[in-house]
Amino acid sequence: MSTTFGKLVKTELKLMTRDPLVLTFVFAFPVVTMLIIGGAFGTKPNPGFDHTNPAHWYVASYLTVVIAATGLVMLPVHLASYRERGVLRRFTAAGFPRWSFAIAQLIVGLLTTAVACALLLLVAWPVYGIPAVHDAWRVAVALPLGAVAFVSIGVLLGSLLPSARSAQAVGLLLFFPSFLLGAGGPPPNVMGSIVKKVADPLPLTLLTNAVREPWLGLGTATSSLIAIAALAVVATVVAARRTAL
Amino acid sequence: MSEQDVVTVRGLRKAYGKRIVVDGLDLDVRPGEIVGLAGANGAGKTTTVECIQGLRKPDAGLLRVLGFDPATQGAQLRPLIGSQLQDSALPDRLRVAEAIDLFTTPKARDGGELLEQFGLAGRRRSAFSSLSGGERQRLFLVLALLNRPRLVILDELTQGLDPAARRNVWAAVRQLHEGGTTVLLVTHEMDEAEELCGRIIAMREGRILDSGTPAELIDRHARRATVRFTLPEAGGSLLEQLRRTEGVQDVELSGTRVTLAGDRRMIAHVGAALVGWGPVPPDLGVHVPDLEDALLRLLENDQAAAAPVIPAQAELVGGRQ
Repeated sequence: MSTTFGKLVKTELKLMTRDPLVLTFVFAFPVVTMLIIGGAFGTKPNPGFDHTNPAHWYVASYLTVVIAATGLVMLPVHLASYRERGVLRRFTAAGFPRWSFAIAQLIVGLLTTAVACALLLLVAWPVYGIPAVHDAWRVAVALPLGAVAFVSIGVLLGSLLPSARSAQAVGLLLFFPSFLLGAGGPPPNVMGSIVKKVADPLPLTLLTNAVREPWLGLGTATSSLIAIAALAVVATVVAARRTAL
Repeated sequence: MSEQDVVTVRGLRKAYGKRIVVDGLDLDVRPGEIVGLAGANGAGKTTTVECIQGLRKPDAGLLRVLGFDPATQGAQLRPLIGSQLQDSALPDRLRVAEAIDLFTTPKARDGGELLEQFGLAGRRRSAFSSLSGGERQRLFLVLALLNRPRLVILDELTQGLDPAARRNVWAAVRQLHEGGTTVLLVTHEMDEAEELCGRIIAMREGRILDSGTPAELIDRHARRATVRFTLPEAGGSLLEQLRRTEGVQDVELSGTRVTLAGDRRMIAHVGAALVGWGPVPPDLGVHVPDLEDALLRLLENDQAAAAPVIPAQAELVGGRQ
C-alpha cells in the first residue's frame, strides 16, 4: 500500500467515525432494532421461524442489515457529497490517483461493516446469546461476498447520483423496503404470497438467506450464495468501470 | 513552442454539449513567469486551467505541461503542480492538521511554517467546516504550496479574502516567484493581476483577445487619462492655455466644470500649467487608466466587433426583416 493511499484510507476511516449518519445507520440502527425485534417474539422455538429461537433468528439476520446500511445509505451519501462539493476534484488535482478514492471507499466500507458486525454480536451476546454456527465456512464466505457486493453497489450509487440529498433519498428508498422484506422484518413464513414473491429476489433477502440458513442449520442456501457471488462480481466490475479504476 | 516552456498549448478546444467554451486557444508559459488569465465569467479561463492540469480532457489541441501530456500522463503530472481550484472543498470533518498530513509528500515544505505564514497556526485542530471563507482560501493556498510544486495554478486566488489577507497572499505569491516557481493565475481582480502578473492574457468566449505586460495592455487599450477641475473665476485664459497644452486631446466644459482628456503624459503638462497659472483648483481630480480600464475597453471593443450589423431599415421596423 503506497504511503499516499495508506494515508487516504486512514483519513477516511477517521472521518467515518465522525459522521453522524454512519454512527446512526451503520452502528446504532441495526443494534437497536435487533434488540427490539429480537425480544418481540420471545426465545422459544417458533414454527414461524422454522422452529428456531426467534431472537437467534434475528441475531443471525441482522449482520446483513449492517452490510446493507453501509452499502445503500452510508457510501452513496458520502461519495455523492464529496463529488457535489468538489472534494474528489481537489484530491485528483493534488495527485491522488483516480483509483485510490474508490478503493479506499471499498476498504473503509468493508472495515466499517466488520466493526459494526462485531459490535452487533457483542451487544447480542449478553442479551440473547449468539446462536451456534452450523456451517461456518458458508457463513464465512457469504458475509464478505455480501459486503463486497453491497459496498460496490454503494460506490456505484455514489458515482451516479448527482447530490448528497438525492443519494440519501435513493439510498433510504432502497434500504428500508430491503430491510423490512429481506432481513429485519417478519420472517418469510408469515409473509403473504405476493409480498414473498417481491421479497425473494431482493439482494438483501438472498444475502440474509446465504448467512442465516447455514448459520442456524436450516439449509445450505447454495443458490442464494451463488447469486450473491455473481452480484459481487457484477457490482464490483460496474463500479470499477464507473469510477475509472 | 519551446522545449523550455512550462506550459505549451496549441489549438485547445473544449465544448460542453453544443457550447464551445475554449476555441482554438494557444498559450505559452515560460519558467518563472507569473501569467494571469483574465476575462469575464464564462471566458473559458477555468476550463483552460483544468485541461492544463488534466482534470478535463480537451476535444482537440496539443498540450504539454512540464514535459507531460495532461490528457494521458495526468497521474505523473499532477504531483508536480500545486493548485488552488475554484469551487472545491475538503471533507467537512477533516481538521486542518490532518489535511496538511494527508497532502504532504516526502519532498514537502514544513506545513507548520506555512500555516504560521498564512495565519492558520491557531486553527490546526479546527474542522474544515468551521473555517471562514478566507481561512479556507488560505488553507487551499497552503496545500497548493506544500509540496514545492514547479507550477502553481491559482484560480480566483483571493476570492472572499479581506484586504489584509489579500496582501498576505500576494506577498506569498511574490515569494514563490522569487524562488523561481511558475505561476498561472486565473483572476477577475485586475488590481491583483496588475500587482502580481508579468504577463496577462485577456480572454473572451474561449479565445485570446490580447496579451502583454500590464503596462503594454494599458498602453494599447486605455491610453486616455482625464483631469477634472472647476474653472477658477476669470479662468478663460487658462482654458485657452490648456487647449494648447501638449498631450491634451479633448477639452470639455460643462458649466464651470472642465474635463481634459489625453494620453497619460498630459497629466504632467496640465499640472505644470495649473501651478504656473495660479492657485491649484481644490477639486482637482485625475484618473489614470489602469488595467481594469484596459480590459473593459478591450472586451467592449471585441463585443462591438463581434455584434451582428443590423440594417438600419430593420431597426426602424422593430428588428423584423
